[in-house]
Amino acid sequence: MKQMKSMRFGLLLASALATTPAFAQGDATPITIGVPVGLSGANSVVAPAVVQATELAVDQINAAGGILGRPVKIAVADDASGAAGAQTAYNTLVFQDDVDVVITMETSAARNAGIPIVEEGEKPFIYSSFYEGRSCSPNMFVNGWVPEQQVPPVVEKLLADGAKNFFLIGSDYAFGRGMLEFSRKYIEEKGGKIVGEEYLPMDGSDWTAILSNLRSAGADAVITSTAGGTPNVTLTKQLRASGISIPYANLAVDEGTAKAMGADAAGILISASYLTAIDTPENKDFMAALQKKFGAEMRTPNDLSTPQYEAVYLYKAAVEKAGSTKTEDVLAALPQVSFKGPRGEVSMSKQHHAPLTMYLGEVQADGSVKVVADFPNVDPGEQCPDL
Amino acid sequence: MALLLDIATTAALLFIVSAGLFVIFGVLKIINFAHAAWLTIGAYTTVVATKMGLSPWLSLPLAVLVGGLLGAVTEIAIVRPLYRRSLDAILATWGLGVVIVQVITLTFGRDMQMPPALITGTVDVLGLPYSSYRLFLLVAAVIMALAFVLVLERTRLGLNAQAVIMNETLARALGINTSRVRLVTFMLGSAIAALAGVLLTPLSSVDPTMGISWLIGAFMLVMVSGTSVTALALACLCFGAAQVLVSTWISPILGSVTVAVLCAVMLRLHPKGFARG
Amino acid sequence: MADRVHSSPKRGRLLTRHGTGLALLGLLTLALVLLGPLFLDRFTQNVLTRSMIYAMMAITVDLLWGYTGILTFGQSAFFGAGAYATALILTHVGGGAQNFALALVLSVILPMALAALVGWLSFYHKSTPLYASVISLVVPIVLSQAIFAGGSFTGSSSGLVGYPVMKLGAANYFRLAGVALILFAGLAWIIVRSDAGRVLIAIRDNPLRAAYLGIRTQRVQIILMTVLGGVAGLCGFLYANAGRIVAPEIAGFGFGTQMIVWTALGGRASIFGPALGAIGIDYLGAQLSGSMPYVWQLIIGVLFVVMILFMPRGLAGLLPRRQRTAAAPTLATLPDRPQESSKDALLSVTGLRKAYGNFVVLDGIELEVRPGELISVVGPNGAGKTTFLRCLSDGTETIQGTITLAGQNIAGRPPEDVVALGIGRKFQVASVFESMTVAECLRLARATHERPTLWNRASGIHLPSAALDILALTGLDKKLAEPVSGLSHGMRQSLELAMVVAMLPRLILLDEPTAGLTKAERTLIGEVLKRLTQELGYAAILIEHDLDFVKEISQRIVVLHQGRLVMDGPVEEVVNSELVRSIYSGMAHD
Repeated sequence: MKQMKSMRFGLLLASALATTPAFAQGDATPITIGVPVGLSGANSVVAPAVVQATELAVDQINAAGGILGRPVKIAVADDASGAAGAQTAYNTLVFQDDVDVVITMETSAARNAGIPIVEEGEKPFIYSSFYEGRSCSPNMFVNGWVPEQQVPPVVEKLLADGAKNFFLIGSDYAFGRGMLEFSRKYIEEKGGKIVGEEYLPMDGSDWTAILSNLRSAGADAVITSTAGGTPNVTLTKQLRASGISIPYANLAVDEGTAKAMGADAAGILISASYLTAIDTPENKDFMAALQKKFGAEMRTPNDLSTPQYEAVYLYKAAVEKAGSTKTEDVLAALPQVSFKGPRGEVSMSKQHHAPLTMYLGEVQADGSVKVVADFPNVDPGEQCPDL
Repeated sequence: MALLLDIATTAALLFIVSAGLFVIFGVLKIINFAHAAWLTIGAYTTVVATKMGLSPWLSLPLAVLVGGLLGAVTEIAIVRPLYRRSLDAILATWGLGVVIVQVITLTFGRDMQMPPALITGTVDVLGLPYSSYRLFLLVAAVIMALAFVLVLERTRLGLNAQAVIMNETLARALGINTSRVRLVTFMLGSAIAALAGVLLTPLSSVDPTMGISWLIGAFMLVMVSGTSVTALALACLCFGAAQVLVSTWISPILGSVTVAVLCAVMLRLHPKGFARG
Repeated sequence: MADRVHSSPKRGRLLTRHGTGLALLGLLTLALVLLGPLFLDRFTQNVLTRSMIYAMMAITVDLLWGYTGILTFGQSAFFGAGAYATALILTHVGGGAQNFALALVLSVILPMALAALVGWLSFYHKSTPLYASVISLVVPIVLSQAIFAGGSFTGSSSGLVGYPVMKLGAANYFRLAGVALILFAGLAWIIVRSDAGRVLIAIRDNPLRAAYLGIRTQRVQIILMTVLGGVAGLCGFLYANAGRIVAPEIAGFGFGTQMIVWTALGGRASIFGPALGAIGIDYLGAQLSGSMPYVWQLIIGVLFVVMILFMPRGLAGLLPRRQRTAAAPTLATLPDRPQESSKDALLSVTGLRKAYGNFVVLDGIELEVRPGELISVVGPNGAGKTTFLRCLSDGTETIQGTITLAGQNIAGRPPEDVVALGIGRKFQVASVFESMTVAECLRLARATHERPTLWNRASGIHLPSAALDILALTGLDKKLAEPVSGLSHGMRQSLELAMVVAMLPRLILLDEPTAGLTKAERTLIGEVLKRLTQELGYAAILIEHDLDFVKEISQRIVVLHQGRLVMDGPVEEVVNSELVRSIYSGMAHD
């Protein structure tokens, strides 16, 4: 085991050295970033893009001389998209590989399983996934969006288009419920009315009864927040097959899925902190770099992989500000640093969460997403008042 | 009206999904735990067929072929050697299901596949727009049920199968090649399951684990129906109705476990289920 | 070997030579577990702590499936219930010693209640093992659905995290899990080797025979499931504390099936196999699955199928099966207790009618049997003789008419209750316990009279003299320590008869006890039956084809023909009747 590890390390180092002239003298032991991620299970569809984003960031950083003159390497472990797998993955990374930081996009259950382990092992942890909010740990920072940031753009748009009666459909899990609970509060605050709120288990695939209720409820807009992948697709397919054509906002669809659904997805409103169509030089460079590095293997970046890319840079900034990789110093520096990436300027300055620019998109008939509007610097709200 | 249509089409869907399992259970008296994998294989047949530029309709006969072949291999390699250890046979089919899902994942990836739908759009039923595909499923289920009855009553295979169902030892004594009946039944059941997989594609996404969510409902329906097609149809209708009503009026979450829980309680209180009175 | 038997005449010694070795091994493992944290790194400690909790779960599955034949996919539900009970208390009520105690108690009681309910659903008269398996699939699915639907109370898909836990530190959790595992494995090992453990195996091997020995199989199954539900809940408590998180997947059926894989690969019905299987696969998985998850699962899946097909005993099967070290137990005679010879009928059947749909098997049967009577039932094949015996011994058969035994209507009573009223039934094909020895079978026959102990094996078997006679006459008393699977056909028939007699029934039902026996064996059985009825006052109903044999031993003969009782009278009268002749000559022409 030990031998294998040093071999792996040697290879990484060799490749790092090959691409860069030389690292500064002094401490040249690599900084290791642990990435526990769902290579199998529910997240396995999006995980490859997340790993690519991490690899790109690390390559770029190494090419520019590393962090504090030290090379950076990655240790990936499968969390099987669940709690039990995450325990194994975090134990491996924190106690066996002794990583310097954990940066990853995961399911909420996997994140929750990991938090006690990073706390026990005293590592900094950047969670780069959007989620339902209010997960707090002194060791954890979040640079994805929370309901307070994602829901308002779509609701505002639907209200502006004249919708009054909203119907909410979700998968029965923490994210689905969290998003729709916030949506209900927000819509009612803004004078809209909720005419129905229904959930189907995550593995359910027959939406018939819910769709019948939707039809008879007299709704003039529907907002859905399902689990990614299968439930999202089955719901959209069956919604379209039953001939329902009221405005439809989907809080859980990513560009890739929208594209795969083809014509069924046309007209869906989505809200995200990242869309490939964002027209900034940072995003163009990011896309080009991905294309160059991975070629045909490139996975389309999305609202989960792009924050992961930026999180690596945020960690770099924090270490450089702190002047060390010591956990307490890095944790102290993390809320103070910022990085201008594909999504714009990001800083995890609000209770370990990040104010973000949000984009409202509309899926076109060919599956591409058009940016309809943007909302700069949306506040994440009161996530962790104790931090 | 919409409710009635929902009930009828839900029952049809349940019938289609459990039919393959039912055939195997009836004759071999085992629950094929690889059933979910058969559904998935059927769906992936559509994926492959449509990628090759064939019409999605062609994937129906293709799935029957693939399912039948795999069924034959499974029966000979796994089910037959475990004839006297029926719980082990169940476990082995379950293990096979796991293997098939992993192989599909390694071949096609974990990503969802989106083959083109067989039928799209809606039809007006008494002024109400309703999914034409669901109505098509209703027709498909009725055709399937009629075919069952015809095969059972009018063909040699059906008569032999009936004999095996009633008393296998006696059937063997009467000169019926029971192991052949078992083989053909398993192939048929697998083929029907794969066919059901194709029929599911327009409703759901196609991914390696798509079959799982249909599994428990199908298990329970088959257990309450025993060996009678009428009982299966009746069970699908009753429990399908219960599922739709609970989902519509109480909660779709409760609705999702309605079939399993009601079947379990029914079997406890009335062990013969729908099979006899 | 032999000296050991005599050294403890009443009870078998708990620690045989083999047992001493295992106890030493246990102490060694205990030492390893206690000292482990001194030389194991943090990663190994954390992973092994969880693996050892899983190993306990594998043992519960082994006890249910390997030993008792209940294939369950649902142990995860009880584990999850225990873990969630703990996490919910600690999250919503808070920490503090009092709350930990409350969590501990609830984490055992709630899963036990749930398990009792599941047991009630799964095990009833005529429920099938397949049905119980499918129910065991439904339970975790419903439970995890409930957890998902619990919103912020249960944490839904995210699970619960950040609740206060017992602050023991990783090293002590490792020790705690290790000690718990060793204790539980040791306990399980003792129990499966005890007489009570034989009852479990009897239920697995031949539930029908077990029920007709008066063993309340369903009750045993429900109790076992309930107790192991509690153990699983306790494992859940440990897990929730050591892992500091609970998530719906630990209650789901995926986890439940994983336990089956550990058990099957490790080797079912071996206690240590499944435990090592769990630790090995979980630990190896932690090393390997991180880099190649799908291939790892594929390998496990293929291995599983191959094992089920070709190595049903799992990896434990690779070890040579050790010779049975159990010494032949001593036989002791129970004092003969002649049945009270009353003139009242022991059994009375009135207006019995049994039909399957439109097909009438029995109709209008009237019969009375008094203590001390031996009645033979004759009639051609298909006359309904075996069905008749079944109706007499199983009150749950749907019949018309009434059957009373010792003054009690048996309607609605399953076999074990009818047996308690004093019926003993010998089947047509010898029904014994294939994986046991002769002595073990005999001891099981006494299970309802002498409660089997959980901790060890009685070294003596008390049998009525009639049963001893059967054993002595057939030479079975010399083969007490031999496995039943090696006995001849005649020996098995005799053994089953001895078992039935050992139960001290008041009425013995025998279905062709002499079929396939030699002339000598037949005579011998005839002698025994005569003694039982004429001297000791037992009653017996015998189905028999051999008219000569019947003439020899019976007091009355009953003729069944096409489902009707056409004659009932003294031997000579019936044998010489026109009717019997015509029936038997008809048979000859078949």
